[in-house]
Amino acid sequence: MYMIKKRCLSGLVVLGWSCTCCSLVSGQDNKQLSPSDSLKLQIGTVKLDSVFQIKTSQVNPIEIKKRSLLPYTSLQQYLKGNNTGLHVTEPSGEPGTKQPMYFRGVSRPLLSDIDVFQNQPLVVVDGIPLVGEHPFAYAVQTYDLERIGPATNLFANINIDMVKSIEVLKDVAAMAMYGPNAANGAIVVQTKEPKADKTNRIAVNMYTGLAQRPQVTTINGEYENRFRKQFYDLYTSNGRYDDGDSYPIYLSDSLNMNYFGQSDWTDSYYNNGLVYNLNANLSGGGPRANFQFAAGSTQDKGVADKVKLNKYYALFGLNMRPLTWLTFSMQANISRLDRNRNLNMRDRFAQLAYFPDLSAPLSPNKEVYNEYLSYYKKGFDNNKTNVVQGYGKLQLDFGNFHFLTTGMVDYNEGYRDQFYHSKLMESNNFASNYYGYNQRAIFDNKAYYDWKIDDKNSLNLLIGNSLQWDTYRYNYAYAYKGVNDFIKVNLLEDDPLKSNYLEATAYPKALIFKFLDRIRHNLVSFYGRANYNYDKKVDVSLLLRTDGSSNAQPDARWIFTPSLSANWNIKNSYFVSDNSLKDLTARFSVGRIGVSNVFDDFAQGPNYVAQMGFTGNQLIAGYNAIAGLVRPYESGWVGYNIPWAYTDQANLGIDYAIQKRNIHVSLDVYLKQTKNQLINIPSYSEYGYKSSYMAGMDVQNTGVELTVGLDPIQSDRFKWSTALNVSHNQNKLKALPNDLEQLVMGNSLLEVGKSLDQYWLLSNTGIYKTDAEVPQGMTYNSIQLRAGDPIWKDQNGDNRIDDSDRTLQGHRLPLLFGNWSNNFVFGKWDLGINMYYNIGRELINQEMVTRFDFINNEGAKKLDAIKEVTYWEKRGDYSKYPLYNPWSSVIPYQADQDLFLENASFLKIRAITLGYDLTSLLGGRQQRIQRAYAYVSANNVATITSYSGVDPEIVDYTGYDIGSKMRIPRIYTLGIKVDF
Amino acid sequence: MKRYHLIIRFLPLFLLSLGGCKKMLDIDSSRTVKEENMWNALEDTRAGLMGIYGLTKAALDDNNAYWLYGEVRSGDFESPNRQDLKAIIKNDLKANYESLGALSNWRRWFAVVNAANIFMERAPEVRAKDLRYTENNLVVDVAQARFLRAYAYFNMVRIWGDVPLILNSHDGNFENKAREDRLKIYAWIEKEMFEAAQLLPYSYSTGDEQQIGNYYNEASSRWSGALVRKLSAYAILAHLAAWQANYADAAAYTQFIMDNYSKGGAYYLSTSFLTDGNGFFFEKRSEQMFSFPYIWAHVEASFTGHIEELTLASPVVSKSVPDIYMPKETILKTFNEKKDQRFSIDTLGNPNTEVYFRNFNSKYPIFSKIKCIMGGSSDPTFRIFTSATILTRLEDITLLRAEALAVLGEKSTAIELLNEIRERRGLKVYSETVNGDLIDAIFLERKRELMGEGHRWYDMIRREKIKHDNPQLAGLIANDGIYWPIAKEILAQNKLIAQNSYWK
Repeated sequence: MYMIKKRCLSGLVVLGWSCTCCSLVSGQDNKQLSPSDSLKLQIGTVKLDSVFQIKTSQVNPIEIKKRSLLPYTSLQQYLKGNNTGLHVTEPSGEPGTKQPMYFRGVSRPLLSDIDVFQNQPLVVVDGIPLVGEHPFAYAVQTYDLERIGPATNLFANINIDMVKSIEVLKDVAAMAMYGPNAANGAIVVQTKEPKADKTNRIAVNMYTGLAQRPQVTTINGEYENRFRKQFYDLYTSNGRYDDGDSYPIYLSDSLNMNYFGQSDWTDSYYNNGLVYNLNANLSGGGPRANFQFAAGSTQDKGVADKVKLNKYYALFGLNMRPLTWLTFSMQANISRLDRNRNLNMRDRFAQLAYFPDLSAPLSPNKEVYNEYLSYYKKGFDNNKTNVVQGYGKLQLDFGNFHFLTTGMVDYNEGYRDQFYHSKLMESNNFASNYYGYNQRAIFDNKAYYDWKIDDKNSLNLLIGNSLQWDTYRYNYAYAYKGVNDFIKVNLLEDDPLKSNYLEATAYPKALIFKFLDRIRHNLVSFYGRANYNYDKKVDVSLLLRTDGSSNAQPDARWIFTPSLSANWNIKNSYFVSDNSLKDLTARFSVGRIGVSNVFDDFAQGPNYVAQMGFTGNQLIAGYNAIAGLVRPYESGWVGYNIPWAYTDQANLGIDYAIQKRNIHVSLDVYLKQTKNQLINIPSYSEYGYKSSYMAGMDVQNTGVELTVGLDPIQSDRFKWSTALNVSHNQNKLKALPNDLEQLVMGNSLLEVGKSLDQYWLLSNTGIYKTDAEVPQGMTYNSIQLRAGDPIWKDQNGDNRIDDSDRTLQGHRLPLLFGNWSNNFVFGKWDLGINMYYNIGRELINQEMVTRFDFINNEGAKKLDAIKEVTYWEKRGDYSKYPLYNPWSSVIPYQADQDLFLENASFLKIRAITLGYDLTSLLGGRQQRIQRAYAYVSANNVATITSYSGVDPEIVDYTGYDIGSKMRIPRIYTLGIKVDF
Repeated sequence: MKRYHLIIRFLPLFLLSLGGCKKMLDIDSSRTVKEENMWNALEDTRAGLMGIYGLTKAALDDNNAYWLYGEVRSGDFESPNRQDLKAIIKNDLKANYESLGALSNWRRWFAVVNAANIFMERAPEVRAKDLRYTENNLVVDVAQARFLRAYAYFNMVRIWGDVPLILNSHDGNFENKAREDRLKIYAWIEKEMFEAAQLLPYSYSTGDEQQIGNYYNEASSRWSGALVRKLSAYAILAHLAAWQANYADAAAYTQFIMDNYSKGGAYYLSTSFLTDGNGFFFEKRSEQMFSFPYIWAHVEASFTGHIEELTLASPVVSKSVPDIYMPKETILKTFNEKKDQRFSIDTLGNPNTEVYFRNFNSKYPIFSKIKCIMGGSSDPTFRIFTSATILTRLEDITLLRAEALAVLGEKSTAIELLNEIRERRGLKVYSETVNGDLIDAIFLERKRELMGEGHRWYDMIRREKIKHDNPQLAGLIANDGIYWPIAKEILAQNKLIAQNSYWK
């Protein structure tokens, strides 16, 4: 007997479960257990993931059942708007792309994708803290538009039909259980458990639908010519601004039908898309051993470039209780995500780091555009991602003493294989291969003790230890100019006898670029917790933990963090017999969580790196083909004495619910201070450094979150429930390193006492019509302002316009957001309407900047100058902008002025669902069919906004709407759910 | 009982996990080299030294700075549609363009200075730790580091005038420094370069008496043209002296080169070798007296950092309009003599040769003297380039010497030197009646011979200081307008630095 147990254990350590173990213990299933003692409950009572059972039934529920009817494919889409405090962004409507989330604001300014990564909340699935995709690969990219590799949204692997609950933790002590992983919040997803009542069950959900092609107005060269002519009429006498000025050739010849003919490219660019989902799950077993299995497939399609995401997923879970005191459970969740990506030139050339001659844009004519598209079809761009999550748990129960050991793995790997036909780039083809993975393994042990002191007092004590190994790695190679368009991979000579053995044969050796990188991070944690309950009235929990990170410097490796949380059930204390009051609870929590570094350089202190590149040619690692090592002049000086950063959070909440009209209110206020953070400050230029990492950035987030719900009409035949949630967040920079008061970072200004997410802009008040109107000596960056230049407000009155006249304006993140949902039930019919809103958010209409600043963009070698085919779509409101002199070297149409700042507040009707309960129709077989439900849905139905661009939502963290992001489709679906 | 037995079995496991964590938390990054792992062995000094070279190359070629400073600013070229280049041509150097901001920023040069300072401070440690690292190796390494540091300063004083003079790494204790008078820096550069010149060999791994054995165990083919040598140092010394109008010293330093150039493997170039796609500018060569190569076979080709990116267009490469071009009138004014192998026209106005300019009769003549496309091919389809950044060559030094001697009054030797170049390019010998003033003839020859090699702007200033016939340029010289403005990032970081007076 002893031997068997030992084998069980060793199997667990490496995270598997052995068959011997399984078969041997199943023979033990002879002792009867009382139903209350069932497996599920036993594991359920452990309550490791939230300190108390917060009543999610009324407040903040993710209505899983409702959500699962909608054609969403990512966790973010399910969460969007449904939870207070969590702001979900959807920077592109392209299925499967990344969708950053921000929980209760941002703790550091969003200056790059790495900052976005560092602001992401943790997602925990069945206790596994997911690893995410490390942003270190940006180091080999000239442009950080998209990370190399498939760049797939890893949270697209969640199968909502298998999800029991999703909870966005607000209790600080509950978050702190996940340690530094959860410094930016934690989203806890629990999958369903088998019912364990010795009946086998099957549940099926399927839908199919259509993503509708949008209707747009197209333009052609004539339109663009007319637009530009206004400027030439105003500022030139003979159609040339100066001797060197040249009018673009594609607009010069009005007989050229490629640009001046029919503009019908939309027929080939936009498309209708088929979306579908089919999944089923099977569960069975009894209290001693049960299982579940789920599998499914989903397709999500966008409305342009035939972009799509295909998901294939399976989940297998098993719970066993061979002995009354021994429980074993395991689960594995496997997904495959395949993605068809957009055909934007911007993304492609950013990856290629090569700008072909951009002087002739794509033609708006369908025939010509189709020919261009046909070359895409001769190549490929395969994006595949595999995601595996799994755990094995072994729990030992000895009366009130329990021991739980868990092994967890989260692994995701991505492949991207590309080949672009030579016709797509000046007769040079391009091949690229990427393989990368992100892997997390955790070994966690907990021991806890339930102590029922007396009838009223009970105590739960827990100590635990967790070891976490993270490894991130990628191999990436690309090559230009293969011998022909038929060999699409980088062939190597395979004859060992030849002198060029293993050398490239299809691509020139000198044009093959290879990269590989690896980064590791280990985390060791010890924690202890005491939960105390008094008579179901008061709960108090104290958590103490210490975490050591391999990314912390050796002399500051560990951080000790306490957190405390308390619940006071006022109803149980004073109104226990008042039946009209359903709930009245006050919650309070306060605590600290360490914030670990994302990169391992910081643990090394001053170091040497192979960075000898320059603008446009970043990746030079040596000289004369010999590796070189220099100080990190490009990435920033790293010194000693870097402490742990940490976040101090406090939350005060109150939940109130009464029987009458089912009114429920939940209110939270919070204060979050993230301190001692590293920021890369421009400094030490005279020592060659671009910047220096310095600790001491403190950021404060405060906010209020409110959920109100009620059933205005409650009758037997008709019921209307409505719920509104509102989140307000305000961030503020509290301190910068070295007592700096302000800091200019690129085109942003960070100023102590101000928000982090503001734009730093000149205020535009009009146009100087004549030279005489310009105040005497008024300059912009020492350039004399003239007729045709903008009137920028001289904020400090020094008769000079420069950076000191820029002011902080607008917000990239909304001040208020949330949703308003309504549900109507009429007999067997039900209708749901879900609305999502953002208020107090602005963005810069970069697309209009690019259009108006055509002089600086025509033929320029920069990403903004690339004209996608959507250049031929009429967008924006041209009448908003004065006609400046576009040739002026003050750059009148620069993006960083309030002329292009627009209110991006919006209200969207995000989803309408109509369903009918078929169960009784199929009543003849009531025994077999437990529930059947048919539904139709319409998604992204309408947007109410004053924004003049395409959609105020589809903009990335920079807040600059470049206009090439894909629209969020309007999707109609029809589906059915059946539970057997 | 069994249960408690089990608890006892579990406890050690639990405690075990506590013990292994120190090891778990000590990870050596595979992406960076920490202090303890650097400066221990020969490979570390080699990496450190190559680092200084790499940084110098980056400082020269970032945003094509070397050519924007030296060629575009001269106004000889025009730009059809790059507004930032138009601003440089108009001397509107504070215009609001990203590239102009980068060109105003001296940080990359100070990275060279800092890397050289660290090298000089730390390399001697390796001498103690690694027996393979010989004294001679250390001496030659330090001489290169000193030279590169002085060269960085030479560039900075020519571009910004006064700059901070920082001679220690100040590793970890960085303090802001004020600018130093450029005259003092000139003197310092001269001293440094001269001392380095005494220690540098004529070539590497060739049995030079000042560099023993195979340098870093690599054969001479590895180093040929890639590293600084004695002649590189003398060439830059000559330029430094001429820049200060100290023509006596310029004559002395150039004399050394004229006497010893064959020892360094330098020769006069034929026109065809000069202008071939896989000729003088391609790869590394001993004739390149001081250069920074991009070696095709070593995957060093790049899209940017070459003059080809600015000048080439159709039909040489597939790009419709060049970033810069030389207008026809300027070309004709410059190449005003018959039979010039570089460029001349026949009586019908058609070019006799296309080595310097293609498409002469179209709207944008393409300056194509330097055209190292890929591995020296003529395939126009892929604009990846391999030309070395060449800072000086024998023709430059010969003409510089002619200039010095002409100023010093040794006309006949000056004419001899001028003819040395003229004859190689198919021109008749210099005659005052045909070619005009000697100084003008020498500068015109420099303009023709060194076109596109980053000398023109500095030549114009030297010429103006001799001839005083361009009031506009004289005004710039008098008011320090020949210098670039200092980037606002620098001014924001270091309050001891004030904007150059001309750009205030």
